[in-house]
Amino acid sequence: MTGDELIRLRVLDDRDVFTMRRVGREVAEMAGLAGSDQIRVATALSEIGREVLARGLAASAAFLLGRDTLTVTIDLPADTGFQRADGVTLAGRLVDTIECDPSGGRVVMVKSLPAGRARPSAEMIRTRIAALAPVSALDELRRQNRELAETLEEVLQLNTELEETNQGVLALYNQLSAELEETNRGVVALYAELDEKSGQIREAGDARNRFWTTVSHELRTPLNSIIGLVRLLAGPGGEPLGPEQFHQVQLIGSSAETLLALVSELLDMAKAESGRLDPQPSAVDLIALTERLGMVLRPTSGLDQVTLSVEVSESSPEMLVDEAMLTKILRNLLSNALKFTERGEVRLEVAPDAATHEMVFTVTDTGIGIPAEHLERVFEEFYQVPGPIQARAKGTGLGLPYARRLAEAMGGTLRLSSTVAGATAAGTATGGTTAVLRLPRRHDGPPVVGRVLVADDDDEFRATVRRMLTGFAAHVDEASDGLAALELMAGALPDLVLVDLLMPRMDGAALLLRMAEDERLRTVPAVVVTVVTSHQYPQTARAVISKHGLSRETLLEAVRHAVEGGGE
Amino acid sequence: MDRVPVLKLGDVLIVSIQVDLQDQGVLALQEDLADAVVATGARGVIIDITAVEIVDSFIGRMLATIASISRMLDAETVVVGMRPAVAITLVELGLSLGGVRTALNLEKGVALLNSSEDTQIAAAAR
Repeated sequence: MTGDELIRLRVLDDRDVFTMRRVGREVAEMAGLAGSDQIRVATALSEIGREVLARGLAASAAFLLGRDTLTVTIDLPADTGFQRADGVTLAGRLVDTIECDPSGGRVVMVKSLPAGRARPSAEMIRTRIAALAPVSALDELRRQNRELAETLEEVLQLNTELEETNQGVLALYNQLSAELEETNRGVVALYAELDEKSGQIREAGDARNRFWTTVSHELRTPLNSIIGLVRLLAGPGGEPLGPEQFHQVQLIGSSAETLLALVSELLDMAKAESGRLDPQPSAVDLIALTERLGMVLRPTSGLDQVTLSVEVSESSPEMLVDEAMLTKILRNLLSNALKFTERGEVRLEVAPDAATHEMVFTVTDTGIGIPAEHLERVFEEFYQVPGPIQARAKGTGLGLPYARRLAEAMGGTLRLSSTVAGATAAGTATGGTTAVLRLPRRHDGPPVVGRVLVADDDDEFRATVRRMLTGFAAHVDEASDGLAALELMAGALPDLVLVDLLMPRMDGAALLLRMAEDERLRTVPAVVVTVVTSHQYPQTARAVISKHGLSRETLLEAVRHAVEGGGE
Repeated sequence: MDRVPVLKLGDVLIVSIQVDLQDQGVLALQEDLADAVVATGARGVIIDITAVEIVDSFIGRMLATIASISRMLDAETVVVGMRPAVAITLVELGLSLGGVRTALNLEKGVALLNSSEDTQIAAAAR
């Protein structure tokens, strides 16, 4: 059982046995055994191999080439009780010796070689046997299989690990989700709190406005009484007063009047603050308006060193605007200008700006001017530029803020620019302030529609619509329900009908139906103005607009659209 | 796994094993041959093992089994072309292929079948 190991084979199935006996025959041939001995060796190996397989054992066979023996050892698992069974007995008849060691798990088969026969070296035999392709290929396949199985196992393990990691991640995710949810709840709670706080702030603001209004109103009444009583005292009908008394009473009167003016301004400001400024545009003759202003303001200029001049562009003397608001703004601006101008000129120019469709009111003075750092602050309530003239002049610091609020309420802007007088090297430079009020030019020109019928049971709404349509429609008829609307239409055919859906006696839908049936009324375009949002609107309506937050622009746009649509 | 072809010549089926047989091949041959005997109604089977180098106890038993099965199906089996080394080995193993008749080569096998039975081989008769 000594010699060079030529090859070692695994014996696991019948193919291995087949290979083993083929290898046995080759080896025997190369070792110099005669033909029948080759067959004997191969057959013996076949018998032993079958015996091994029959017992379900995994074995390996090694071919050893000694000097004068060929030895094949078959290694088996130890202690399997592999006795000298039939196969081994049969094999024993074919070879010289066969030893079986059941406890060591080894069968050794020896075949002696004929002496003096030349044979190739062990190395060459090894190479030749290795060339028996199926053997190596099978082995290779088996090896790869085993590796594959190992890899698979690894993959399975990795998979398990991955799964564990996954679970970890999932747990983390769940935890994070929970935390996020909690945070979310916190945010929602915070949000609610914020909401509450802003509500409180709004309430506080409302309360402040109410307070202003109430106080101003309550103050005005007694002030008016004082002024009235002073007039009675100082008037010609009363008992004669001493000169000193007369003077004091006059002082009381003027103080009361100042106070009243102040309170009035406060009241206006409070109104503006509460956002209840609703411009009510109407066609205004700008020339007449500015002339009235001039007449009112000129005497108050006092000294003759200041002239007030007014210039209105001839091209557009009319404008659709809230007259009262415009008057207030201009009066504030002009009186401010006059107040702070000691000599020179205060000038009001009115001209349209075609590029922006705006009407531009420019008030220029040659007064003391406003230092640049105060230009924006003068629009803050109660803010006054510090200085000797300001101290002398009466005022609350509410005029400009109020004017700006009014301008914004009308969709316009109010800006100031100014240069401060004096203090230059030449010493003669005059200062001056320019206030520019720009108001959007609403529809001006001929009315777009001739006759508009407003059918609505809400008096206030009808009035609002009438106001909005001023200048846009030549005539506005009002009807409080469908029947009244039909009667009116029978009298004078309108160019457009504004219909409310919810009306007593005959509602909007019925009215539209009746109109559709009437040959004359069929062509009249109708615009539904309603609070009902989820209603099935009548087919004949040209447009549907909501009463909520109805602006003049929306209404005019709808009307214009409906009228133009009807002309097609 | 290569199958061993089963050829029909007259009443005789000829199986020529040209490769070193593996166990699966032998088992397959046993089935194929039994089917062929039934299908053709052959009276004789000749198994040519000229190319077979190794006949161990298993293959020896299988040859005997094939012969028994064929006899059950009314066909005589003759194994022909056994190599000397194989014969020696079989004897040394103590196997005599009991019940299997042998002949030296195919021609003698055919003659054996013709003489023992009244089996006629079309090709040989002419």
